[in-house]
Amino acid sequence: MGKILKQIRYTPAKIERGYSNKSLYINVGDLRIEEKEVTEFMKEKFVGGKGFDLWYLWNAVTPETRWDSPENEIVMSVGPLGGITQYSGTGKTLVCAISPLTGIPIDSNAGGYFGPLLKFAGWDALELQGKAEKDLIIFIDGNEGLISIEEGEEYPEDTHLLAEELTARFAGSEEDKVHVSVVSSGSAARHVLMGMLNFSFYDPRRKTVRVKQAARGGLGTILRDKHIKALVVKFKGIKPNLNNPADIAAINRIGVKYHKEMHDLDEKQNGMRKIGTANTILVMNKYDLLPTRNFQTGGDPDAVKISPEVFINQYLTQGLHDGCWYGCTMSCAKAADHFKLLTGPYAGQCVTVDGPEYECAAGLGSNLGIFDPQAILEQNFYCDTYGIDLISYATTVAFIMECYEREQIRPEHTGGLDLRFGNATASLELLHQMSRGEGFGVLAGLGIRRLKQVFVERFGADPKLLEDIGMENKGLEYSEYLHKESLAQQGGFALTNKGPQHDEAWLIFMDMVNNQIPTFEDKAYALYYYPMFRTWFGLCGLCKLPWNDIVPADNYKTDTPAKVPEHVQNYVDIFNAVTGKKIDQDELIRQSERVYNFQRVFNIRMGSGLRKHDKAPYRSLGPVTAEEYLSRQERYDKQLRELQGLDPAVMSLDEKIAATRAYREKQFELLTDAVYKRRGWTEDGVPTPEHLKEIGMDLPMLLEVVEKHL
Amino acid sequence: MISVNTHEQPWREGLNVQALLDEMGFIFRHIIVRVNGEYVPEEAYAARLIADGDDVQVMHLIAGG
Amino acid sequence: MKVLAHKQEICTGCRECELACSQAFFKTDDRLKSAIRINNNFNTFHATMCTQCGECIDMCTAHAIYRDKNGVVRIDKKKCVGCLGCVGFCSELSMFYSDDQLVPFKCIACSICVKACPENALEILVSKA
Repeated sequence: MGKILKQIRYTPAKIERGYSNKSLYINVGDLRIEEKEVTEFMKEKFVGGKGFDLWYLWNAVTPETRWDSPENEIVMSVGPLGGITQYSGTGKTLVCAISPLTGIPIDSNAGGYFGPLLKFAGWDALELQGKAEKDLIIFIDGNEGLISIEEGEEYPEDTHLLAEELTARFAGSEEDKVHVSVVSSGSAARHVLMGMLNFSFYDPRRKTVRVKQAARGGLGTILRDKHIKALVVKFKGIKPNLNNPADIAAINRIGVKYHKEMHDLDEKQNGMRKIGTANTILVMNKYDLLPTRNFQTGGDPDAVKISPEVFINQYLTQGLHDGCWYGCTMSCAKAADHFKLLTGPYAGQCVTVDGPEYECAAGLGSNLGIFDPQAILEQNFYCDTYGIDLISYATTVAFIMECYEREQIRPEHTGGLDLRFGNATASLELLHQMSRGEGFGVLAGLGIRRLKQVFVERFGADPKLLEDIGMENKGLEYSEYLHKESLAQQGGFALTNKGPQHDEAWLIFMDMVNNQIPTFEDKAYALYYYPMFRTWFGLCGLCKLPWNDIVPADNYKTDTPAKVPEHVQNYVDIFNAVTGKKIDQDELIRQSERVYNFQRVFNIRMGSGLRKHDKAPYRSLGPVTAEEYLSRQERYDKQLRELQGLDPAVMSLDEKIAATRAYREKQFELLTDAVYKRRGWTEDGVPTPEHLKEIGMDLPMLLEVVEKHL
Repeated sequence: MISVNTHEQPWREGLNVQALLDEMGFIFRHIIVRVNGEYVPEEAYAARLIADGDDVQVMHLIAGG
Repeated sequence: MKVLAHKQEICTGCRECELACSQAFFKTDDRLKSAIRINNNFNTFHATMCTQCGECIDMCTAHAIYRDKNGVVRIDKKKCVGCLGCVGFCSELSMFYSDDQLVPFKCIACSICVKACPENALEILVSKA
């Protein structure tokens, strides 16, 4: 146990209708600990979760703030519905900060018990500001009403050791381990910009600490830059009424109905309880959507080697509850137990690997040309324990591998690492270098945006090619879906607030397969409704998977099955049952719209958030190279004929690629126009004062920013 | 010719829903099939014949990720 | 293993068992707080109560359900977080909840209803499994 630097007592606030109405401010630089009131204004305009995070963050930073400025904050909040136990997916913590990768606010969310336990300890939100000189552990005991900051130098850095040790220490007994949750990063987070946060929960059946990640945008890098080694919260006594909801009977009724649906239908639908999100690997492969070798193609015959069945039969323990918060009967947080590591500092040890999730199998698998489940799980484990966002890692390494194969970078640049597609050994060595802070791994940890510059300026790479194949937008790496044939999804990735992450919209089936949204206006509506609807999960502390990874048996009878209307109504009803308010489906969208536009203006305030920042790399829109074109030649030739009235038979390959590109880039611009219009923004992507007024966000602080750009 | 999700597809005698799904590569399980607007339950895929000129909708339900 | 069994052919549907159960565990004459429920289906009486199958043990999101030394499936009320997952997942529909209780309830084969049944239509079966 480290030396105690500061300790205070407090009286945990009683929760009223989902809110404790208090937030906690900790400055790790001067060890100030303060309590703030959560105001009615905050609840009205920002609801909670990501809304509260962004509000506090706005007030903490200036346009000059950089990710490593002391005033940059890590803010986390669970939202008013967070911590109820009767519905699935109600334990998400939302985290925001100015991102090292993008320079604008990042929002990322994680399961695990931290957020709900933090709220029940009396805190709707937690702000962490300042920078410590030495590593700290921050401990919040919600039963005792105690906050303690102590030296943390002596603890290990890697999460699988650190979280286990802290859980044991602060629990005091095996029985109390479930009441402790730890937020930590890992040894690589000090050396890379894509460091992530692990949120723990104790699994009493496996008798091990499990982790879920707020992975995107470099939050772990900031945590370690602040010299925070871990946050620990302890709260004992979880019951279904702790939010003191307005109408617990309604929550019970909706919860039981939903659990029954899960029991009756999951096996026939997505099989989330068996395999989790990785259920879609072969589906994505079949529909040409599984990103392969840096998003060049949408699948590979070898994908069958990493099929869901391989993971189910050979790795994942079945039949145990795998929820990352109480009451989640979707139970998708799968784990491979007794997994023997073959490389790195823990080689030879048997560990529990949290995963693989779909993004992991696609990113660390097919997108790196690696079709080996052992290698995927081993990379998964090391990304987690070292504190590396595996999506940014995977997409960055895919980019590096393509640069290497196209001889844009050479062995003398990579320190001899033979970073060809498929070389799992090289990828694992890269991860170990990130942990040790040495070699090419540190360079790779900068992420694609900075690497493009380094490769061009120092290694003489072709800037045009790198701009085309580097799958980043706003500085954030794309998540793992090939989407060249879905214009709507191209917008779903690029026309986002934080950068290309599919949590705003996943429209590929609606657009490309179902052909449900053929016109620009249809697509623009979808890129209005879905991002707003999905933003709402982050305001309330919810996971989005229970919304549509299972649907009611009669969902097909509804007018809008893609929206899953009954589940949307569940959310409206639960929100009202917890808070006592009376919102409807329109107001739900409006709540999100307020925060969504606030975040957009925040981006503009930080020097981004305009049309030029929403541009997509051409790899996202269409075939960059001759090989890519030729691999789907029939499709692209047909499009030249049908969409442009050209005759591919009389065109050279270069002409065909150029004509396809001109057409697709134009389509993307037209889509951007339509989406901005639908969202109430100018042609440059700036929310208009009229729109801000209409949604009740004509706050002087926002108007002042947008007026400079009209 | 028939229409599948508004795109033209060749038709042949004896084509049923299951065969069409197989030919289209629609392996995703979570779908809603309608022929000329009429819902076809999964149990009926093999028995439900598709006639020339039919309008088939195969709605993939994930809005996912 | 101990399990409550119901003899349909003898049961008259008087539902004394329900009252005895709710009285014993909740000190109230409220059939909705009974862990055995008698349903009248055209004058044959069907009883819904736990078969002690134990499916709920592995799915419990709080690891709060266990089988005791008599083979009876029990809820540890201290550990239970009231998520009601087990209620939705019970294939026998015999895990119950009440809005004024924080945790669900179920038949624990205690035999109070057996003694209360005027027709001797209920019994506790004991098997080795």
